[in-house]
Amino acid sequence: MADMERLIDLQNISKEYDNTLVLEDINLYIRENEFVTLLGPSGCGKTTTLRIIGGFEHPTEGVVLFEGKDITHLPPYKRKVNTIFQKYALFPHLNVQDNIAFGQRIAKVPSAEIKKRVEKMLDLVDLRGYGKRRVDQLSGGQQQRVAIARALINEPQVLLLDEPLGALDLKLRKDMQLELKRMQRMLGITFLYVTHDQEEALTMSDTVVVMNRGRILQIGTPKDVYDEPVNSFVADFIGESNIYPGIMLEDQLVRFAGCDFPCVDKGFGHNQPVDIVIRPEDIQIVDMDAGQITGTVESVLFKGVHYEMIINAGELEFKIHSTVMQEPGTRVGLSIIPFNIHIMNPIPAENEEDMPDEIIEGDEVS
Amino acid sequence: MTGDNVSVLMIGGIALILFGFAALVFISVRRSHGFKRSFFASPYTLWMVLFTVVPVLLITYYAFTDSTGALTLDNFKNFWDSNYSVNQLYRQMGPEYEVLITRGYVNIGILVYSLWMALLCTAICLFFGYPAAYFMADRKMKFGAIIVVLFVIPMWMNFLLRTIAWMSILEDSGLINTVFHLLGLPKVQLMYNNTAVLLGMVYNFLPFMVFPIYTALTKMDYRLLEAAQDLGANPTRTFWTVTAPLSLPGVVSGITMVFMPSVTTFFIPRILGGGNTMMFGDLIENRFLFQGNWNLGSALSLVMMALILLSLGILRRVDPESEGSGIV
Repeated sequence: MADMERLIDLQNISKEYDNTLVLEDINLYIRENEFVTLLGPSGCGKTTTLRIIGGFEHPTEGVVLFEGKDITHLPPYKRKVNTIFQKYALFPHLNVQDNIAFGQRIAKVPSAEIKKRVEKMLDLVDLRGYGKRRVDQLSGGQQQRVAIARALINEPQVLLLDEPLGALDLKLRKDMQLELKRMQRMLGITFLYVTHDQEEALTMSDTVVVMNRGRILQIGTPKDVYDEPVNSFVADFIGESNIYPGIMLEDQLVRFAGCDFPCVDKGFGHNQPVDIVIRPEDIQIVDMDAGQITGTVESVLFKGVHYEMIINAGELEFKIHSTVMQEPGTRVGLSIIPFNIHIMNPIPAENEEDMPDEIIEGDEVS
Repeated sequence: MTGDNVSVLMIGGIALILFGFAALVFISVRRSHGFKRSFFASPYTLWMVLFTVVPVLLITYYAFTDSTGALTLDNFKNFWDSNYSVNQLYRQMGPEYEVLITRGYVNIGILVYSLWMALLCTAICLFFGYPAAYFMADRKMKFGAIIVVLFVIPMWMNFLLRTIAWMSILEDSGLINTVFHLLGLPKVQLMYNNTAVLLGMVYNFLPFMVFPIYTALTKMDYRLLEAAQDLGANPTRTFWTVTAPLSLPGVVSGITMVFMPSVTTFFIPRILGGGNTMMFGDLIENRFLFQGNWNLGSALSLVMMALILLSLGILRRVDPESEGSGIV
């Protein structure tokens, strides 16, 4: 008997299209009421994973369990999940209320009951009075809300969201992020969310699944994947990073930029090549003589909350975020506390380019 | 007299149009110091006026005049209560029309027969055409493109040739009867009846049903089908709730494009019906060319046009959203 806490359980899922492997041995489980985000660049297989759970694709290998039952080959219309599609896929021949009522009519709910539920849904997504409108008369944000209402009215156990906010402008996207999170908490529905926007993933999720080239690289809380990325790809994809090759001299001592730095990681062995990841906000600008290394300010960009400075320190460049601006040309010292130096095993070379970039799926960054 | 009338009307009309056209060009060049975009539509406009508007006006003129050129409504009266001799040909159209024809309502009889044949033809084309278009438009179907080509190739051939080709299949010494003979089966009469005419019509007009539906189906976003399935609709429900309504504009234009030429069909009945049947198109041809009665022929043509406009109006009402854009 499967662990009942696992609502959806993907076991050893692989998917091939025309001899191209787009998913390789995916193992992932989703708990009830969890907000899980699949995060990765275009073509990483996140949409394919979602479509396998929705029933629109079938894995070449592996099983999909739903509440412990094998649903690998169950058609979409027999699954207790609903999807919000990337471009909403609203029915153009139906008005707003008929779009929302679609699933309920299929389920043969009495029409008086449907009417009540549609009104409730219109309230929930803040579209009161829009029931009779044609969907092509709505703005992108409103269409988005109709798509949400159309899915939620069926009270699915799991809601699948395929880059639902991709077509909205920044302000609207931020509002909808909060809105979706609020609905998820209020309705107690499990959300599986697909995005390529790392900030979105960190803001909304309970669990982030970082994917690349058809594989899962890391599963963890937003804080985990941000603070403790498993490799330089994850570090680079989630937030901005300075990534350098270095040598792990011994436990808690690493050499890079021609300098030895104390750090907190251990267990890499002696004189091993490693990747060093340092977040731009984790490097302190100090006086010349107080720094571990010194450099010259190359350029300064104003980014709103902070300045982004590029500091040239011999053979390496450091990207630094700070609220204090330094004039270009200034010589400064740089200091990094041991806790902020993240040591990772380098990504093996053969894994880096073993899959083509263009993978067949609706994953394009819009 | 009639001939003089025509030439005067024609020459006058053409001169007027050419003058108007020249004036239009002159004005548009003066106004905008260059050619306006609409200027490029003028060759087509000229063509339409010369060969569509003028003939329609002429037909209208003839329909309301008699052979001396005097205004009259007799042509339409004759249409209702035809006092022309009942031709042996019309009798053989079938017992259903016998009543009308023997009472002297030859024109009405042929009109009803034509409408009925056109309706049958349209229904059969829809019955076979929709599934064909659906199959061709299926994303997963690898042979879709081949079938499209198979539908297109016969259209490269001349319409008359295609119809005559059917003769060599259906006639007494044709392909089917030869095969029957070789198998020791009795000879069957396949030609010179309604079924043969219908067959020829369906064969000729089927592509006009298939392609509009095919276009509507391929333009449809397949994600909508996934959305319907996601919301619990099985494939049958998905078809009736999403595919069918969204392909309706294609069906409407398919019906229009089959029904209109079907009603006005001529020649097919003469070839495959062997002169035993006559459709409205043949009747008009007969009045013009063999009886030389241009006035009655014109009246018949006007009635036909009115019927077609009426049916177009009804179709538009079926699918009011399709106007303009065509497909959603």
